[in-house]
Amino acid sequence: MRPARPAQRLLRHATGALGATGNYLWSGWGSIASIGLFLAAWDMTAGHLGELILPRPLEALARLQQLLADGQAWPEIAVTARRALAGFALSVGIGSLLGLLAGLSVTASMTARPLVTLLVGMPPIAWLILALLWFGAGDGTPVFTVFIACFPIIFVGAMQGTRSLDGQLRELARAFRLPPWMRLTDVILPHVVSYLFPAWISALGMSWKIVVMAELLSTEDGIGAALAVSRSHLDTAASMAWIVALVGSLLAIEYLLLEPVKRRVESWREFASSSS
Amino acid sequence: MLNHPRRPLRLLPDLWICPFRPFFLATAVSAFLGMALWLAVLSGWLPAPDTPGGPIVLHAHEMIFGFATASIAGFLLTAVVEFTGCAPIGRGALVRLTLLWLAGRLGWALSGVLGPLPAAVADLGFMGLLLFHVAGPLWRSPQRRHLAFFHTLLALGLCHAGFHLTLLRGADALPWLHLATGLLMILIVVALSRISMRLVNDVLTDQGGIAAPYLARPPRRSLAIFTIALFSAAEFVLPPGSTTGWLALATAAAVFNLLNDWHVGRALFQRWVFIAYLVYWCMGLGYALIGIGLLAGQPWGSAGRHLLLVGALGLAIQIVMVAAGRMHSGWGLDPRPWVPAAGLLILLAALARSLAGLPAGSAHYPRLILIAGSLWLLAWGLYLARSFPVLALPRPDGRQGCDEAVTKT
Repeated sequence: MRPARPAQRLLRHATGALGATGNYLWSGWGSIASIGLFLAAWDMTAGHLGELILPRPLEALARLQQLLADGQAWPEIAVTARRALAGFALSVGIGSLLGLLAGLSVTASMTARPLVTLLVGMPPIAWLILALLWFGAGDGTPVFTVFIACFPIIFVGAMQGTRSLDGQLRELARAFRLPPWMRLTDVILPHVVSYLFPAWISALGMSWKIVVMAELLSTEDGIGAALAVSRSHLDTAASMAWIVALVGSLLAIEYLLLEPVKRRVESWREFASSSS
Repeated sequence: MLNHPRRPLRLLPDLWICPFRPFFLATAVSAFLGMALWLAVLSGWLPAPDTPGGPIVLHAHEMIFGFATASIAGFLLTAVVEFTGCAPIGRGALVRLTLLWLAGRLGWALSGVLGPLPAAVADLGFMGLLLFHVAGPLWRSPQRRHLAFFHTLLALGLCHAGFHLTLLRGADALPWLHLATGLLMILIVVALSRISMRLVNDVLTDQGGIAAPYLARPPRRSLAIFTIALFSAAEFVLPPGSTTGWLALATAAAVFNLLNDWHVGRALFQRWVFIAYLVYWCMGLGYALIGIGLLAGQPWGSAGRHLLLVGALGLAIQIVMVAAGRMHSGWGLDPRPWVPAAGLLILLAALARSLAGLPAGSAHYPRLILIAGSLWLLAWGLYLARSFPVLALPRPDGRQGCDEAVTKT
């Protein structure tokens, strides 16, 4: 058989990727159906409780649209996103690195285990109090709280990834004298990433929740602060609008960004399990 | 063996050799006649009938419990035999069922004079008898895999009874017909999953010799059936509002979710597959329109409902009748161009009728209704012209019964 020309190959790749993307997006209808059912349940509950206690979904969405349209919402969302992502990035960087290093040595991982348990067990609200004392009102408090709450999750993921690496595979790589770069990209990383990635995803979800809590108590801007204001005005519609914005952006990040990447990164697993 | 009562069957003796034959013919004739009369009433050529519940109830009832129910009877009486391997019903029973169905239509035509009771007795007698004939084989089959048909038909029968009771009491019976619409959509999902698996896989095998890669997956189907049932029940119980609106949107999404099973590449564009695929598009769009209308407080229910009934139901009934009718008369699938043409006519009829109920089309309401009705008449006229020999004349292989044609491969 003649090898396909590069242009043809590129085209085939492009249509394949396009088809896969289309299929992935289309499979979202199932999730939209369950969200629709949830909104119907919310709507019915709101009808029973009254608008003052729980506004209907349409009202919350209309309020959110209004907040977005008059430019009130974007700056708050941007501030919150900046804090959440800063804390998240810090914990991804430091947590992954330290976790990988700890995984390399049995002693280090043995020593780290109780510390991790301690960090996981510490309620974020306690960290928030400490952070308020240390950093005061400002970006430092929410960023630190997010970092310290996400850190143990990522650390454990990275550590387990390196610890559970198949010793025989490493042996094999050494026997075949794989260059270090290849050993890293073909042996170590695919395995470690399959542990790291889920940890990153749960940490990202966590970071959004923690940052709002931190803002609610410590800052004067961001979604959390806006929630505090709407609460003090007894404005349930605005509160629900902010919550919808928060959950909506989380859903969008998870399903439009992380899940596709995860599928791509972990496609080798499916292959491995189907060929065994 | 089948008995051969001679007396009532002199005319077109071959019409009675398989249960789908008289009923598919009745379906097509009632689709044609019912719509022709309705258009004549709407255009003022005929006086509005003075039937119980008013003309709209009559139109909706005849389309659902006249036209659609005849096709369901023909389909189930034939399919249950194929699914379970039991003996088909005898000719006498088939004649009785057909006459009861006809009596129901006649009862409605005369209900202005006779009142609603004779029509109710004939209609419900027909439903009861049909259930009786279908229930036995479905329950007796070892794994009872096709009980969903029985449940849906039973629900449809109960809904029909509720409709007639409400009408006898002189109350508004239209909500029962809306409920019946939901049950028909469920029946489409149940039936199409079985038919489509066969059709799609036949096409795939023809195209590349791949062994059965297409599966109508039960979880997706169950979600769609659940949401349709939930929306229909909510619509029946709750006043129109945002709760039912969200449920309608959830239903639309669950129906679109079914299409995941259908994205199988080139095979999708083969006529049998594509027309069935369009059924789900019409269903999803219909529910979406109903949902958006309810949420926006707009009266778009009729537009959405006609997309469900003309589009999804009309297309599903015709494609099943064309495919199953030919297969079980020994003719094999019809390769001629009238099949996609008739499908296109029904689709356009659904779109035109739906547009008439939306703000964009309201200015041309009478014209759009007339166009939609005429397209529908054309589609069913085409079906009648092409399928009458298949339904009423002897099989080309001279055999009796419902056997399929000897396969081409």
